[in-house]
Amino acid sequence: MNQSDKIFIALVLVCALVLYGTMQWFVSSSTTGKTEAVVTYKDKEVLRIDMTKNASYTVTGTLGDVIIEVKDAQIRVEKETSPYHLCSVQGWVKYANVPIVCLPNHIVILIHSVSVDPNQEDTTVK
Amino acid sequence: MKSTRSKTRRLSLLTMLLAMSILLHMMEPSLPIPIPGVKLGLANIIGLITLYLFGIEEMFTVNIMRVLIASLLRGIIFGTGFWLSLAGVLLSSTMVIILRRYTKMSIIGLSVASATFHCLGQIAVICYLNSTWLMVYWLPIMWFTAVPTGILTGTLAFQVLKRLTKGVAL
Repeated sequence: MNQSDKIFIALVLVCALVLYGTMQWFVSSSTTGKTEAVVTYKDKEVLRIDMTKNASYTVTGTLGDVIIEVKDAQIRVEKETSPYHLCSVQGWVKYANVPIVCLPNHIVILIHSVSVDPNQEDTTVK
Repeated sequence: MKSTRSKTRRLSLLTMLLAMSILLHMMEPSLPIPIPGVKLGLANIIGLITLYLFGIEEMFTVNIMRVLIASLLRGIIFGTGFWLSLAGVLLSSTMVIILRRYTKMSIIGLSVASATFHCLGQIAVICYLNSTWLMVYWLPIMWFTAVPTGILTGTLAFQVLKRLTKGVAL
């Protein structure tokens, strides 16, 4: 390994660190208040999940059913049919904008923060 | 006569390299790696050996043919996995050629570069297919693993080339 190799490796590691820090800051700052998960199949929304309710949901992907579990405001793919099961191995996700991607099934799960309009009235008293 | 023999020998060697790269490409998913989604990129060894023994054109041919034939054999041709592999191979091969021409990087550095740009190509395709840039979240994690795997495959390629060019096999 020569000097050029070391410079390139250092550059890659610095870029990875900066990108990692930026993405961590982005996902933690975008997770505020109430959250919901949006499940898309081939770019079309097929399910919207309330993250406050512990439950299991099933959506149909390209290779079969994908079972999604919500527990304690966290979400994961519990079971699916795919060659390497990468999306179920990924485990629990609680932050907004951290995607769970099941590529062979064309399923993407993404948590969004639900924006609450401060001017919206909770109750109306007459 | 000598020219014909030389051409036949070259073709045979390239075919053997292609066969080995397909074999490594096919067997790699079965290797137990503790981090999900991470691959060693063993087929990259053959791409680098081809570059050093033959040249740019041959490396591109071996790499692209490897992706095409391996995808065909696994029944995923023109599927998502195929486009991911193709994008990764095209970007990594192009960058390896550019870096080899304009820098003084050794085969180990080029192997790390190949692994790094392979990840970049794959993430770009995943972003395009899913119409969201958020898949970039996985890029730094992939880059952190690309450095040790790139060093490993580069070292292996260097050791193989060292023995080949000593006249043991060539």
